[in-house]
Amino acid sequence: MSIAPVQEEITLSGDDVLPDTPWITIVWNDPVNLMSYVTYVLQTHFGYSRAKAEKLMMDVHTKGRAVVANGTREAMEADTEALHGYGLWATFQKDD
Amino acid sequence: MARGFRRRRSGSHVRYAAQLDPLERATVAGLMDQVRELLEPEPRSRDDGDEFSSIVAGLGMGVTVAAEDQSELDASAAERDPALARLLPTANRQDDEVAAEFRRLTETGLRQRKASTLAAAADLMRGDDKLRLDEDQARAVLTALTDVRLVLGERMGLRTDDDVHLLEAAAEDLDPDDPLGYALSVYDFLTWLQETLASAMLDR
Repeated sequence: MSIAPVQEEITLSGDDVLPDTPWITIVWNDPVNLMSYVTYVLQTHFGYSRAKAEKLMMDVHTKGRAVVANGTREAMEADTEALHGYGLWATFQKDD
Repeated sequence: MARGFRRRRSGSHVRYAAQLDPLERATVAGLMDQVRELLEPEPRSRDDGDEFSSIVAGLGMGVTVAAEDQSELDASAAERDPALARLLPTANRQDDEVAAEFRRLTETGLRQRKASTLAAAADLMRGDDKLRLDEDQARAVLTALTDVRLVLGERMGLRTDDDVHLLEAAAEDLDPDDPLGYALSVYDFLTWLQETLASAMLDR
């Protein structure tokens, strides 16, 4: 697995963590899942366009992971559970 | 000789058609059965007959794991079969408590949904040499093939993209009787079959 650190710089304006800081769902690279299948799952579950699904799939493949969704914690948990159903290794976490 | 999946349109219906011989179908169906057995939770006598609990868990609501069962799930998660761990991976890599809580709420339902998809896919594979699947059936077979390949891949030690190439290179020198060679040929067959189906389902 070729894991490249994902460069994401987020600057908060205040000192406090915002109470509604969005959560994210991440899909991690694995050696088994097919590129076509990952694209299919991202299109089917999220309703993404073919182009967007393929871009995210390539990020997973080349960078080791990609943020595939963001929103409330509950929504990210639901996405993660659904993606596990499809056999993708998904995680959710606070976007920080 | 197998023919991979192709998209066929007949009127307003879309079907995914493939042709597998009886041995190939039996092999794929048998592997789906094994993975389903791996996923099915240990039978619990006190849950017997609790139809409502199992239905709710199947919906993914995650409300049916009683408090006394939670510590069992936690303990078993740490020391479970790596193949099972790959099917039910951790959902949070930063916070073990969050991951454990998620597992408590979702694992029973996730296991049941995976098991029922694998059962449906195995039934389809046992049908006829000429498979003709509608969209829902195709999705079941596609997803079941993923779970089978994840387990086989884990059993063969595939953890990184490089492992796949290393294994394929090593396979050329394997003794013909080495079971790893057979496992790899089955894995390659499943990969090919799934690729034809995923490509056909993407092609819209």
